Amino acid sequence: MRLPTHSPRLARRLGIAWTALVAAMLAAPIAVAIAGAFSRSEWYGLRSEGAPVQGTAALFVYVLGLWGHNLLRSAQIVAVVTPLALLLGAPAAYAFRRLPFPGCRWLEAAAVAPLAVPGIVLAVALIEAAGGAPRFALLAAGHLVYTVPLVVRTVGNALQGHDPQLEDAARTLGAGRLAIVRRLVVPLLAPALVVSALLVLAVSWGEFNVSFLLATPRVQTFPAALYLTYTTNSFPVAAAATLIFLLPVIPVVAAIQALGGEELQRGAQP
Amino acid sequence: MAPPRPRRRSGTGPGSWTGFLLALPLLLFLAALVLWPVSRLVAAAAHGPDAFRVVLAAGRYRTALVNSLLLSAAAAGAAVLLSLVPAWVLARERFAGRRLLRATMALPLSFSGVLVGFLMVVMLGRIGAIPELVRWLTGRELLAGVAYTPAGLFIAYLYFEVPRAVLTLEAAFRRFPPELDAVARTLGASARERLLRVRLPLLAPALRASLALTFAASMGSFGVALILSRRFTVAPVEIYTELTGFSNDAVAGALCLLLALATLAADRLLVEGGERWRRAGSGGGLRQAAASRARP
Repeated sequence: MRLPTHSPRLARRLGIAWTALVAAMLAAPIAVAIAGAFSRSEWYGLRSEGAPVQGTAALFVYVLGLWGHNLLRSAQIVAVVTPLALLLGAPAAYAFRRLPFPGCRWLEAAAVAPLAVPGIVLAVALIEAAGGAPRFALLAAGHLVYTVPLVVRTVGNALQGHDPQLEDAARTLGAGRLAIVRRLVVPLLAPALVVSALLVLAVSWGEFNVSFLLATPRVQTFPAALYLTYTTNSFPVAAAATLIFLLPVIPVVAAIQALGGEELQRGAQP
Repeated sequence: MAPPRPRRRSGTGPGSWTGFLLALPLLLFLAALVLWPVSRLVAAAAHGPDAFRVVLAAGRYRTALVNSLLLSAAAAGAAVLLSLVPAWVLARERFAGRRLLRATMALPLSFSGVLVGFLMVVMLGRIGAIPELVRWLTGRELLAGVAYTPAGLFIAYLYFEVPRAVLTLEAAFRRFPPELDAVARTLGASARERLLRVRLPLLAPALRASLALTFAASMGSFGVALILSRRFTVAPVEIYTELTGFSNDAVAGALCLLLALATLAADRLLVEGGERWRRAGSGGGLRQAAASRARP
């Protein structure tokens, strides 16, 4: 017998239409902002930038000239934070699931706790504790605080989905600890590790709270520069900067989707 | 910390030690970059002359805190309501374009607050896209500058909360056992009865969790308000002003701690309070069975 597990057709259609509407409302502002980067920029350029920017290509060259060093700074931060977050989070997540020790549940709860605390609070706390530290290190630390929990959760959830007996079987077959990690655990966890890295990348690239509070004129990430451009530059310049910010985000989000990232984040409920 | 001793999973003393060593970097990291800074924050708040009394007395700070609380609560509730249907559809229906819709929903997750603020200005600013469109269509001046009002802030909060709510709810809805609903239907339950007595009780934990998540996200949201708030102020903006404008670390620290406490309290209340309330109620056999079925 077949149970009627599907919604009635009309409800289904209405539901899909509603979903499409919500998605469209989320996408519309992005589309308008991107279109702004390709709008006629001569007028704005002469009127409010003081620089004669002619045409779209010149607009992007102008924006890159303004914020190029911030882009570079953000890229450096992401390049430092991503491997560090994985190195800190992934082995610990493995320990929590496979090699439990007294207090590990407590430690795991503490590791994901930053996700439940408002972003600005830990940023201010970091400044209070180490305001004199080198800015780049402080920025990286601030990004790590919010990205390591993502790794712990993603890898932990992935491990929960795999049968621990696989590792026991490998052990009884004579595989050493290193061989098990190298040839069984890492390959099994590869999708989760890639998703974690992409999540860290996306979050670190877009992080604003810590970046802005710690920004100095010389060490400033791209999102902090976005604030400056939104408050001081003309609309096409701001729109072009936004598009430059979005360019890496879109493929990263698409890749997270393709790898089933949401499923791995299912422990998201704090 | 006490030396680790093996507990569960057989007498693997060395394994337990290995686990501890693997987690040791994380422990040190948390101690140095979360615990120690938070203790400094507490110290800063305690250092100033009655920072908490200053913050909680009637005035700008308290207004900002109350504004943050009310706005975040309203936005969280509205976001979860808006997200119910999309989350259900994405979790349970198969149709062309589903992946695209899902990716669109996920995109704003990595937007920083300032970007959302800018998008709001683009859409609802003084010469935003929507007022311009309205003027072109009807010739009337409408909605111009809404972005800078509390309503604009509310819509901006919705913008980054709806994706969060949709994705957490979707994960929960996917684990919802459809047979239960079907069985209720074959037993003659009406749509309303099924909603109230099968779906809602089973999905309540996920609803509360997504409420807590979206509430926390908007309590800490800083960039949006930085761009949009004019006369209307919220707590994160006050923290920023106190810290950078006046170097008033004590007040900034006290505001931070109150903000964090309110968020954590809401989280506990929603997640654990609800859990306790559910257990205290008559936990029917069906609900129990369904709960164990829903968590493989």
